[in-house]
Amino acid sequence: MMEPQSTEAAPRRDAHAARVEHLAAARRELADASERGEGGRQALKQYSHRADAMIQALFADAGPGSQPVGVYALGGYGRRQLCLHSDIDLLVLFADTPDERFLRSFLTPLWDLGLMVGHQIREVRDGEQLDGDNPEFLLAITDARAVAGDATLLDRFIERSDVVRTATRTLDALRGLIAERHARFNDTLYQLEPDVKEAPGGLRDLFAAQTIARLTDPGLLGQGGSGLRSLDDGEEFLFRVRSILHLETGRHHNVLSHELQDRVADRLGYAGATPRQRVERLMGDYFRHARALDRSLRWALRSAPTPIGPNLVRSSEGVRFTEEREAQDRPESWLGVFQAAIDLGCGVSDQALSLVQRHVNQFRAEDFFPTAADRAALLRFLLPRPGLYARLSEMHDIGLLGQIFPEFKAISCRVVRDFYHKYTVDEHTLLTIRNLERLIGAGPDRERFSRLLGELDTPELLVLSLLFHDVGKWRDEDHAVESLRMARQMFDRLDLEPSARETVEFLVANHLKMSVAAFRRDTEDPEIVRQFAELVGVEDRLKALCLMTLADVEAVGRETLTPWKAELLWRLYVDTYNHLTLAYGDEVIARDPSGLENVIGARPADLTDAEVTEFLEGLPRRYLQLFSRDAVYRHVREARAVRSGSIQSWLDQTEGEWELTVLTRDQPFLFSNISGVLSSFGMDILRGFAFTKPDGLVVDMFHFIDEEQFLKLNEGGNAHLLHVLEDVIAGRTDVAVRLKGREEGIFRRRLPGFAPVIHCDNESSRRYTIIEVVAENAIGLLYRISKAMSESGCDVDLVLIATEGQRAIDVFHLTKAGAKLTKPEQEQLMENVQRVLEGPS
Amino acid sequence: MKLIKAIVRPNRIDDVKNALEKLQISGMTVTEVRGHGKQKGHTAVYRGQEYNVSLLPKMEIEVVVPESLLDAAIKAIIEAARTGEIGDGRVFVMPVDESYRIRTGEKAAF
Repeated sequence: MMEPQSTEAAPRRDAHAARVEHLAAARRELADASERGEGGRQALKQYSHRADAMIQALFADAGPGSQPVGVYALGGYGRRQLCLHSDIDLLVLFADTPDERFLRSFLTPLWDLGLMVGHQIREVRDGEQLDGDNPEFLLAITDARAVAGDATLLDRFIERSDVVRTATRTLDALRGLIAERHARFNDTLYQLEPDVKEAPGGLRDLFAAQTIARLTDPGLLGQGGSGLRSLDDGEEFLFRVRSILHLETGRHHNVLSHELQDRVADRLGYAGATPRQRVERLMGDYFRHARALDRSLRWALRSAPTPIGPNLVRSSEGVRFTEEREAQDRPESWLGVFQAAIDLGCGVSDQALSLVQRHVNQFRAEDFFPTAADRAALLRFLLPRPGLYARLSEMHDIGLLGQIFPEFKAISCRVVRDFYHKYTVDEHTLLTIRNLERLIGAGPDRERFSRLLGELDTPELLVLSLLFHDVGKWRDEDHAVESLRMARQMFDRLDLEPSARETVEFLVANHLKMSVAAFRRDTEDPEIVRQFAELVGVEDRLKALCLMTLADVEAVGRETLTPWKAELLWRLYVDTYNHLTLAYGDEVIARDPSGLENVIGARPADLTDAEVTEFLEGLPRRYLQLFSRDAVYRHVREARAVRSGSIQSWLDQTEGEWELTVLTRDQPFLFSNISGVLSSFGMDILRGFAFTKPDGLVVDMFHFIDEEQFLKLNEGGNAHLLHVLEDVIAGRTDVAVRLKGREEGIFRRRLPGFAPVIHCDNESSRRYTIIEVVAENAIGLLYRISKAMSESGCDVDLVLIATEGQRAIDVFHLTKAGAKLTKPEQEQLMENVQRVLEGPS
Repeated sequence: MKLIKAIVRPNRIDDVKNALEKLQISGMTVTEVRGHGKQKGHTAVYRGQEYNVSLLPKMEIEVVVPESLLDAAIKAIIEAARTGEIGDGRVFVMPVDESYRIRTGEKAAF
């Protein structure tokens, strides 16, 4: 008895039979063309088209998947060059985890048709690892073509990949595969029985040359080698020969053997009285085409530019766009050309410069940096380094700089006549940036300024300020005021952080002040230095203004910045730096609220005038320059809860750094205990401040890097650190015990570095003895120094912590029993500090 | 004719020039120089490191005046350059035998 058939079985059989017939018809069509010697490009395209229809039908029959899925033709099928017995290479790409049911339903009927199917299964997120995929797949996907289903998935797949790494790896893989393949043929194309696909000068070489061009420069093959026409002719010839080989052998066979040469010559209609003559003519044509393809491949391998970024390559003439059409509509990508040229130390190609110049006026300033990432990239681009001036000049010449910063356009070729300036205002401005970039690695005469540049946290803001410092010269009035007004227009476009805005505002508004003070005032007068120190407020601004002045004066004319002027400028810098770091302890906030209007006037409702004033009284004025108003108000609030032995502390995170703030009452070893706790967690303290008020309230802030990622890796790590801090300050935990192992490790590992410098200054401050320590930075350094000070009976009242490269620069303001240290006390202290810096003998 | 060579503080140079111009003395040579007199420099400290600043930046003015203007010129320079502190500078006076105008070769007369 026959088993009952399912109701769906018969239609399935009918569908299969129809597909068999469809495939057979398509093959007959290609076989007929091949038989006539016409199995070239057009015939293969037609056959590929029929294969597409079949795949689309099978996709529809497989039913909807559980998620979006797309089927893509790869390799020769992707290029629509499917031969009679070629494999059908497919990529089945899922939006998410592959749907097994769909795969079975789709692929089984393909196999049932007897086709040789090569399939790759991927999901969109696999794109992230594309550059690590196998070389054959990387190459195949360069020809991927949507056939059925969701055609957008491939773009999403590619978008997830690192385009440059993938292109580079694909090219590397291709070079390797070419060399390997050619070696199999003894690196010669003159084979008596050539493989028309694999041999040197065969179809694979043509595809390789085309792939190199696609990944690097689509116009490459038209610029050299045997030329596009020869490649077209060669491709057509080889396809026709290959189609006959498949037809004659009934299989995927590509070797033009002696036996098959007769038949191919006949089908292609070669003239000749004898078979030998006909074959000789066929093979003559073959070698002519193979030579042409070989020449083009060699040209491509030799001349192809290197992929360096999305749609960017480095060619012999500089950085250029791969696809001009794609580039012209994406102004946000243009900066990448100039950035890449700086990174690679090469130029920008004429192609890229011309393209930008042709299209730049279609876009508004905002179009060049529409996202936060684009705006961050623009700031990164302004980092002073060799090549920046040259690139900015090019951007200016082609109109890009003026389009990104319309304010800069106002001074284009602007002539201002005075006794000093030798160049137009725009060129003077750009030269200031060249002067800055030349400081990098400068010789002995500029080494001290070069070091300052290396110490700036945000040198890009200095460049931004230089770009804007003279834009106000488009008018004839006070240009610093107008430049400031124009710079403020740019802040919102760039969405600059408040602190960055303040820095740029300060530098633009005051860009002439340091040259006036250095060259026209008596800088030996302490009052002049004090006034200038009050203007700059903190060391970072002083450094930036000093460099701005140097770059600005030097850009006036070739000989404007004499060594004499550089010396004057440096002396003012040093005197002001010393005032800021050594004398600030004497300049305290008085009870008189005048001068505190800004802080008191903007206070939140939960604070009173008296409360804010009382908190600030006795703190160095520098405190107000270091902390924002919001930070001050928070300190006032937290100070309410501070009692003897208790602390208020919290951690904040900012761009890779952490910030610990501590409010407590002063006690012996307080500073060393706090810094010791941070060191015991492996934190690298970069900078910080410690302030002690006359009433004993202490405000300390430490910026540090979590070297061992304790806070990142441990949930609750923040609370744990603060808890340990509380225990140490309350005397429940001994920080020395926590640090013991680490300190031993540090001393064991210590390499010979530079000798530490300790300087004692009893003159700069009326109230404090000041100890400056410059030493090689190390975990626990601050703890060891401050502990030695406390052990010497000193009160550590004020501290400035700075780190510049491997150098720690710490300035301590000390008293002993409320007074400055006596000479013997100073000597004893210096000895003690020296001892801890040297470590255990 | 006398050659006056004055070494003054850099920030006083404009005042000295103005004072001489008031005496109708407009031709002068100004040079950036470094040196020391009684000050003999001083010790400076930067980041804990002491260094000796022995040569201080000064401005040198050279001006040739007829003897009739000599005293007035010296007085003008001293008044304009003086701060009362150490380091105000020096004025030297030297005889000038002859003077020639290069363009024409003629001997200048004062």
